[in-house]
Amino acid sequence: MLYSVAIFAPLAGSVIAGLLGRAIGERAAQAVTILCMLLAAACGVTAFVQLVYGDAEPGVVSLGTWIEAGSFHVDWALRYDTLAAVMVAMVTSVATLIHIYSVGYMGHEPRNTTWRFFSYLSLFTFAMLMLVTADNLVQLFFGWEGVGLASYLLIGYWYDRPSACAAAIKAFVVNRIGDLGFALGIALIYVTFGSVEFPVIFGSVGQHVNDTYHLLGAEYRSLEVIGILLFIGAMGKSAQIGLHVWLPDAMEGPTPVSALIHAATMVTAGVFMMARMSPIVEQAPDALAFVTFIGATTAFFAATVGCVQNDIKRVIAYSTCSQLGYMFVAAGVGAYQASVFHLLTHAFFKALLFLGAGSVIHAMSDEQDMRRMGGLWKMIPLTYAMFWIGSLSLGGVFPFAGYFSKDAIIEAAWASHTLIGHYGFWCTIIAAFLTAFYSWRLIIMTFHGKPRADHRTMEHVHESPAAMTVPLILLAVGAVFAGWWFRDQLVGEDWREFWGDSIVVAANNHVLTDMEHVPGWVSALPSVVGLAGIALAYLFYMFMPALPVRLAATFGGVYRFLLNKWYFDELYNFLFVRPAFALARGLWHVGDSRIIDGIPNGVAAMTADGSAQIVKIQTGSIATYAFAMLIGLVLLVGIFLLFR
Amino acid sequence: MLVVGLGHYLTVSAILLVLGVFGIFLNRKNVIVILMSVELILLAVNLNLVAFSAALNDLAGQVFAMFVLTVAAAEAAIGLAILVTYFRNRGSIQVEDVNLMKG
Amino acid sequence: MTNWTTMNWTLAIPEIVLSCFAMAILVFGALWKRESFRMCSMMAVGALLVTAMLVVSNSSGIGYRGLFTNDSFSGFIKLLVLVSSALGIIVSLDYAEHENLRRFEFPVLIMLCTVGMMIMASASNLMTLYLGLELQSLAIYVLAAFARDQLRSSEAGLKYFVLGALASGLLLYGISLIYGFSGSMAFDRLATALSDPTKASPGLIVGIVFVIAGLAFKISAVPFHMWTPDVYEGAPTPVTSFMGTAPKVAAMALLVRAMATPFGHLLPQWQQLIVLVSIASMLLGSLAAIGQTNIKRLMAYSSIGHMGYTLIGLAAGTAVGIRGVLIYLVTYVFMNAGTFACIIAMRRRGRMLEKVSDLSGLAKTDPGLAAALMIFMFSMAGIPPFTGFWGKYFIFTAAVQSGLWTLAVIGVLTSVIGAYYYLRIIKVMYFDEAHEAFDPRPGSLTFVGGVSAIFTTVFFLFPAPLVGAAEAAARVLFG
Repeated sequence: MLYSVAIFAPLAGSVIAGLLGRAIGERAAQAVTILCMLLAAACGVTAFVQLVYGDAEPGVVSLGTWIEAGSFHVDWALRYDTLAAVMVAMVTSVATLIHIYSVGYMGHEPRNTTWRFFSYLSLFTFAMLMLVTADNLVQLFFGWEGVGLASYLLIGYWYDRPSACAAAIKAFVVNRIGDLGFALGIALIYVTFGSVEFPVIFGSVGQHVNDTYHLLGAEYRSLEVIGILLFIGAMGKSAQIGLHVWLPDAMEGPTPVSALIHAATMVTAGVFMMARMSPIVEQAPDALAFVTFIGATTAFFAATVGCVQNDIKRVIAYSTCSQLGYMFVAAGVGAYQASVFHLLTHAFFKALLFLGAGSVIHAMSDEQDMRRMGGLWKMIPLTYAMFWIGSLSLGGVFPFAGYFSKDAIIEAAWASHTLIGHYGFWCTIIAAFLTAFYSWRLIIMTFHGKPRADHRTMEHVHESPAAMTVPLILLAVGAVFAGWWFRDQLVGEDWREFWGDSIVVAANNHVLTDMEHVPGWVSALPSVVGLAGIALAYLFYMFMPALPVRLAATFGGVYRFLLNKWYFDELYNFLFVRPAFALARGLWHVGDSRIIDGIPNGVAAMTADGSAQIVKIQTGSIATYAFAMLIGLVLLVGIFLLFR
Repeated sequence: MLVVGLGHYLTVSAILLVLGVFGIFLNRKNVIVILMSVELILLAVNLNLVAFSAALNDLAGQVFAMFVLTVAAAEAAIGLAILVTYFRNRGSIQVEDVNLMKG
Repeated sequence: MTNWTTMNWTLAIPEIVLSCFAMAILVFGALWKRESFRMCSMMAVGALLVTAMLVVSNSSGIGYRGLFTNDSFSGFIKLLVLVSSALGIIVSLDYAEHENLRRFEFPVLIMLCTVGMMIMASASNLMTLYLGLELQSLAIYVLAAFARDQLRSSEAGLKYFVLGALASGLLLYGISLIYGFSGSMAFDRLATALSDPTKASPGLIVGIVFVIAGLAFKISAVPFHMWTPDVYEGAPTPVTSFMGTAPKVAAMALLVRAMATPFGHLLPQWQQLIVLVSIASMLLGSLAAIGQTNIKRLMAYSSIGHMGYTLIGLAAGTAVGIRGVLIYLVTYVFMNAGTFACIIAMRRRGRMLEKVSDLSGLAKTDPGLAAALMIFMFSMAGIPPFTGFWGKYFIFTAAVQSGLWTLAVIGVLTSVIGAYYYLRIIKVMYFDEAHEAFDPRPGSLTFVGGVSAIFTTVFFLFPAPLVGAAEAAARVLFG
């Protein structure tokens, strides 16, 4: 019951704000959505506590049948197990804080339309909750597409900015590519298992381990193909290398959106799905190797790009990309628990960083370029402190939350003792160094040095209102303590008891045990490189600011390569966008205007003509009508007697 | 000696039906004639029912004929009432005038 | 199952109660000194709801010595009919105020008509069939001519009366032939008598065609549709709305039951006819609507087309097909009621408007109304996720399963043509220059439009109960 309230309260808030927002005004709409979110958070956290620390039993809350077509059966149902409950508690509480924060952040909006914004935010929360509580793949897909829709609406919230619209479309299109893989994966699961319900699928994995799937003359194990297809879906949603291009552009949306959707929740849906589908992917070692490879490469790639970006939000966006890579590395080596652990801590410290960035942008009158900031730390000390906490956590400094979860992943990668695991280990180590470097580069460029903004902006710099700072402080608490509090339960010795049956690991998967016994240097290395990264950042940007400029000039090629994000956008532009445009132009000139317009225009003319003829029979005279009836009757009798 | 059998009854009723139907769409004059034609059709039906009832030695047909008579009375009443309101609005009950709406 | 020779009159309690209510309201309205229209309407809606509850709680069985059957099929149809009648009364409330039609006979007539339709749904004898049908038709003749000082309304009534009388004459003649050549009027006995299709005499077959013609007139299927546009246009709009929903449902149910139960063994024979009628209806419905400028007339052609789609399900001749028919009818009732609620809301400075062009720029002047009408138009055009799509989906699936590929293909093609005029309305509302705003719309219309719009939009989230009920109802006819 509590659980259902947690999921449907945001929907109620969204519907009320969305439909009545214009009528009740934006203040009331904000109040309604926030009240609904508070209710949801209270229920969500209670449900989580009851399940994990109380005596509530995991189960399924059934809401009714959705689709019933022959053997294809889908229910509306809420799955209540540890994995879902953790996600529900995290999503509702972070979303609540971000709702509250938005009241302050959107306070300067000139138009009286922020009810729309709050309605979208709540809608997003509902869709995300549907996703994490799904008991079958179709409902999961419903939530998956729902968050995609809400993300599209929110990125394009400022619809009068062409860049925001373009970013929204880009996010939508890139996600479609991933969704295609996901949908194919669902279809293949249905073909293989004859059901889309989780209990049925997970119960019969054992019988289908050796099923094969034929494609283009070759034969693959079905579970491997399913694993890869599902992961392609996850790559789109979680912005992994190749399909990551939408995430930095998505920063066009208002900052609370970036915090909620593009850091804390939606982008982690892919990670969640891998954990949810663990019974299947656990039986697909090749798919898992692919996951590790992509995750590790993303972690490294995004960290390098993050080092040279100048837009404060883009730096954090690439950082998100990179951290998601970490999570996939963990999932790929079989440590799903570690990936969800990092997902959880990441939600806190990344939301904190984004909201902190929002606070800076708010203070700087919507300036996002770090080259025009600097010297802010005395003016907005609270935000500055929050940034430190977030960065310490992100950089993995003891005892902040990120330290525990990031170390768990790096140790798991080492403990897997596979070649690909070691690739993951070294990539994540380098990424850890770069992470610390770009985090302190951001802090120093933003808060230290001489103010580089113009006079008028600097005069307006002010600490944000309480609606914004209070959520920051609460998130900071999470960013500090979440790792220390949860480590033993999520990935330590209590993990079996904690997760129950919600995450399944194969019998030969001992990663979580092995990672307790890695050599000392492996545990120490992430902290060492992290501190080295911080030191290097201080050296470059605090003490010898001329050095990075000289380096950029010396290694111009490398610098431009990084600045242009490894030329991914240009590559896609060349490979897909331009040929597509050319094809479209060709189709338009030849196919559309001649064939497609020609034939329908002819047909339409014929249709209109036929219409005019038919209507002529309708003379309005009773006699004609009766006559038509009689003719029809005679015809029918004739036909019936003839074909009897 | 001519024996009047079922076939004759059916023929008469078929002729009545055709007369009634033709009366509806060949008539160009008066809506009242249409009402009469409708009665003619119902008459044909009743004749049929009663004839079949007698031939089949089954009472249901005659019971039905009673119902049809009743309904026919109600129908005639309603038809005339509608015709009266129409006449009041249009000032005519010519069949060819009933074509305000078409297309 | 009860012995069919017993009376079992309790089975007809909903019908009896509704008739008593109708009489009581009639007497009340006549004796009450003051303005009684609104009160009588409210009481009528209440009576319909009470009847609906009685229908739900009533048991199934055969009563009146086989004349009357209660089963899940009749229950489904009765509930649908009662709901559409109630919607019909609700949309008339405000219209009657403006058009000076505040007469308490209006709800009484709708109630009597509803009794007739409920009897049609339960008919298991040609006699019951005829009496139910006539009770329904007589009430509608009067309703069509209800605006008695308007020429167009009385002309509509006159046309509907003359052609309807002709149709019921033909139906009756068919019944008499069936009776004569098979020896019975009871559905179950007819089914036994016709269990060997080769023995069916020509007289019997002519009789069946006459009956089909009579019923096809009521559902306005081509070529018995000619009255539809004129009567739809002329009748007062709430009456058109009512005529477009409940009687169509009841007549379609009657046709389905008549084809399935007594003539079920002749399926290969009548299938041809239904296929032909269905194709003709779909084609005419989609083509003739294109040039229409009057929205009520347009809806008339649209309903002809929709009945064509529904007939596809009957032509399939399987339980799946009948299930499709029932689902389609439900979706159709709500789309139609909602659209007419929107049409009745088209009023400017107290005057009713009926032109499509009057809707131009509605999205700017009344976004709520425009959005509702857009939902209905999308649904009628069969665009997912609205109900209209699912109705068509179930129908076409059934057709394909029965091997009626041609029918399914023509159905899809005509819905593409049909989409043209539905989308044109949306285009007019959203892209044309705005006119002066409509008068404020009363709560009753907002209620009907809103309920229908919500049903049309969110049906796809919880289709299972409706589909399950339709499935159970269809199983009664084709096991």
